Amino acid sequence: DALLPAPQSISILSTNMKHFLTWSPVIVQGATVRYSVEFQGEYEREYANGSWIPISECSLTTATVCNVTEDISATVAYRLRVRAELGATRSPWGTMKGFFNRVTTSLTPPLLRVLADGYHLLVELADMGPAFQFRVLYWKKGHESRVQQKVMKEVSSMVHLDTMEAGAEYCVKAQTHVEAINRSSSFSPTQCVRAQRDTSGWWL
Amino acid sequence: GACRVSMSMTEIRAGFTAIKANIQSRDPIRTLSILSHPQSLHKVKSSDRCCITHHLFTFYVDKVFKHCRTEDSFVNRKISSIANSFLSARRKLGQCREQNNCVCGEESTEKFKQILANYEGLNVTSAAMKSLGELDILLDWMEKSR
Repeated sequence: DALLPAPQSISILSTNMKHFLTWSPVIVQGATVRYSVEFQGEYEREYANGSWIPISECSLTTATVCNVTEDISATVAYRLRVRAELGATRSPWGTMKGFFNRVTTSLTPPLLRVLADGYHLLVELADMGPAFQFRVLYWKKGHESRVQQKVMKEVSSMVHLDTMEAGAEYCVKAQTHVEAINRSSSFSPTQCVRAQRDTSGWWL
Repeated sequence: GACRVSMSMTEIRAGFTAIKANIQSRDPIRTLSILSHPQSLHKVKSSDRCCITHHLFTFYVDKVFKHCRTEDSFVNRKISSIANSFLSARRKLGQCREQNNCVCGEESTEKFKQILANYEGLNVTSAAMKSLGELDILLDWMEKSR
């Protein structure tokens, strides 16, 4: 019974509170190797005899990536491990080096679309999940000292920011905030739009 | 004293809601309550809230979660999620208690003793499952008293 090596290069890719465990494939000529993943939170280490919990979606998977977002759902240090399986043969566990805490996730600026609807300044933000709040800054171009702010705990389709002066240009930028880890992303690039010109006057 | 601790109540609530029916179905003793007998948590004075919340988090971390392991992998994963969230929150609460010197009043000390007595009055697995099944009582009280 040939020994199966443990998976190597085990690491986590974490962006915007979505966490994926990845590893290098174990190659056995002419055979399909499967993998199983388990996790262990600080609670399991400190209070449950160092027990490990299997992730059923990644049990006997042929993929070399596992979405662990649902299970890394507290702001504590987690450990993760993977093993290879071929028929009845199982490899030793390959354990990710060190710990993973979701506080280290990388936060990208939000995607937003700014529109001028007549005199109305509108913004549309891409939904990023329940953990995300948005801080939107907007100002009349040339009046950078008078920036206004709107904080949105939930994303609705289109948000009215302000009523603009005729013909004036307004600028908007935004960042995300994740309360669970008390961190914010950097700001998105600034987008500016111009309000419609004043059409009320009579021109003779 | 006041203890404003940011914790993911939404995540804990979502995790509990996902397994509530399963956990409560394992609790055959409907006539007893661990958290609400003889008096509701809502009777606790606001000045004592920080202290009793810390006590209750310690109670769940030390006594309850470890006795709730089931044969259901999904349930075990959600219990792990809640347990680790409680651990993280308790740490913040502990820091807050030290900074604000939240002392426990006589009433809340008595209330917490009653909760422990209710818990010890049952065999450990039943007591743990009942306590976990009553988590929404604790979450409701915490959200109401924010």
